[in-house]
Amino acid sequence: MNRDTSRRIRSAASSALVLLVLGGAAIAIAAPFVWIFRGALSPNDGELYRLPPTLIPEGPTLANFGKVFDKVPFGRFVLNSLIVSTSITAAQLITCSTAAYAFARLRFRGRDVAFGIVIASLMIPIQVTIVPLFLVMSNLGLTNTLWALILPPVFSAFGIFFLRQHFLSLPRELDEAATIDGAGHLRVFFSVLLPLSGPALATLGIITFTYWWNDLLMPLVMINDTSTQTLPVGLVLLAGRFSTGSLTTIAAGITMAVVPVLIVFLFLQRHIVQSISQSGLKL
Amino acid sequence: MGFLSPSAVSFVLFVVVPTVGVLVLSLFQWNLLSAGRFVGLDNFERLLTDQRLRNVYGSTTYMALAILAINVGVGLLLAVLLETRMPRWLRGVFRLSYLFPFVVSASAVALIWRFLLNKDFGVVNFWISQLGLDRTDWLGSSAWTPISIIIVASWKTMGFSILVYIAGLRAIPNEYREAAVVDGAGAWARFRHVTLPLLSPTVLFLVVINTISAFQLFAEPRVLTQGGPGDASRSIVEYVYDTAFQSFDLGYASAVALTLMVLLIGLTTLQFVVSRRWMHYT
Repeated sequence: MNRDTSRRIRSAASSALVLLVLGGAAIAIAAPFVWIFRGALSPNDGELYRLPPTLIPEGPTLANFGKVFDKVPFGRFVLNSLIVSTSITAAQLITCSTAAYAFARLRFRGRDVAFGIVIASLMIPIQVTIVPLFLVMSNLGLTNTLWALILPPVFSAFGIFFLRQHFLSLPRELDEAATIDGAGHLRVFFSVLLPLSGPALATLGIITFTYWWNDLLMPLVMINDTSTQTLPVGLVLLAGRFSTGSLTTIAAGITMAVVPVLIVFLFLQRHIVQSISQSGLKL
Repeated sequence: MGFLSPSAVSFVLFVVVPTVGVLVLSLFQWNLLSAGRFVGLDNFERLLTDQRLRNVYGSTTYMALAILAINVGVGLLLAVLLETRMPRWLRGVFRLSYLFPFVVSASAVALIWRFLLNKDFGVVNFWISQLGLDRTDWLGSSAWTPISIIIVASWKTMGFSILVYIAGLRAIPNEYREAAVVDGAGAWARFRHVTLPLLSPTVLFLVVINTISAFQLFAEPRVLTQGGPGDASRSIVEYVYDTAFQSFDLGYASAVALTLMVLLIGLTTLQFVVSRRWMHYT
C-alpha cells in the first residue's frame, strides 16, 4: 500500500467518525420530537408507550387532536400567545428604535448618564422584580388580563442597546445630507435610518417574539383564568398531573404547540440563525 | 425629547418602580391579606439562617455549572466537527436539527421529556434496561432529578451555543490555519494552538451568557420535577416564586430575589468585561 492510499483511508475513516458523532447528536435531538408526534397519532395509551417504539404507531388516528379542544380552550391559548408576543414585539420595536435613535444621534444633557442607567438595568431581569411587578399590575387592576403580560416587557434595555449599536454603524453623512435638505429629526429617523434598518429590526423582532412566546413565569404569576392563559401554561394545564386524562391527548396538544413553530422556523431559519449568531456577537 | 418618552414611561413603570419595590418589600413582612409590617433587616437575617435557601442555591449552582459545562464543551466539539468538510446540505440538516429545541417552548420540551424519562414506561429506561443496567428513577430520586434537568436544559439550549461557536469559528481568518498546515501542524495541533486561542473570547462569552441564563432556570424544573424531591432540583427563581405566590411571604421572597440580583450583577459585569475584550478581537 503506498502512502497516498493509506492517507486516503485515514481521512475517509475520520470523516466517517465525524459524521457518526454529528449524526448521533442530530438523532438524539430529533428523536424526542418524533416520539411525541408518533404518540399523538397513537390510538391509545398502550400504543403510545409501546416498547421499543415503532416509527409509525399501529392503527394511527387523528382523533386525539380533536380531544385536545374538548379538554382545554386550546385555540384561546394560541390566540392569547399570538396577541401577547405580537404586541410585545411591536411595542418594543417602537420604544427601542426611538430611544436608540435618541442615544445614537441626539445631543442632550445627561445623555450618557441616561444610557448608563439603561445598560445598568440589564442586570435586573424580570425574574428579580416579579413580586413588585405583580403588585403593580394588580393595583392597576390588570392581573388576569393580557395587559399584565404585554406591558412589563415593553421597555427593553437589550433592544435599545442592540439598535443603538446598529444606528451608530450607519454613516452620519446620511443624516447630515438630509438635514441640509431641511429634514427634521422625525424625517431623518423615518426616511433615512429606518429604511436602512430592516435586518436589525427583524433580528430584534425575532428574538423578542420567541422569548415571550415561550415564557412560562409571567403568565403563571399574572394569570389565573384558564381562558386568559398562554400556550406554555396551557400545555401544563392540559398535562395536569399526568394521572388524569389520556396521554395521547397530551401528546396531541404538545404536537400542535410544537409543529407550527418548527414549520415557521424552517421558513425563517436563515433569518433566525443569523439573528442568534448576531445577538451573540453584539452582547 | 419626544423620541425618549415611550421608553422613559415604560422604564419608570416597569423597571424603576419594581426595583424600588423589591428593595422596600424586602424590609417588610407581608402576606397580601393583612397590612404589611416593617421588620427592618429581619428578612436578610433570615437569609443567613435559611437552610432551604442554602440547599436551593446548592442545587441551582450544581445544575447551572453542569449545563454550562455541557453547552461550552460538547457545543464546541459539535461546532468544530460541523465546520469540517462535508456536503453543504448535510451541514444544513445537522445545524437545523440542533436548533429545533431552542425555538420550542421550555414547557413543551419538559413535557416531552416527562414522557421519555418515566421510570416504568419511558423509552430512556427501556434502552437502559436493554443494556442490562438498572432502571433509573429520573424524576423521583434526589440524586437523579437534577441530572434530568441538566440533560433537558442542555438539550434545549446547546443549539444556541453551537451557533455562536460557528460564528466565532468563521471569524478566524483561514490564513492562520493554512500557515499552520505549511508548518506541518496536524489537525489536533492546529486546533489546540491556532483555533482554540483565537476562539477563547467566544468561549469566555458563552461561559458568561450560559451561566446567567442557567441561574434564571425556571420552566424545566417547574414542569419536570416541581423542584423535588425536597429541593433537590429546585432553582432559585422557583424558590422566589414559591415563597411569594404559594407561601405568600412577599417580603422574604423579595429578599431572596435580591440575592439573585446581586449574583446577576456580578455575572453581568463580568460579561461586559468579557464582551469588551471580544470586540477588540474582531
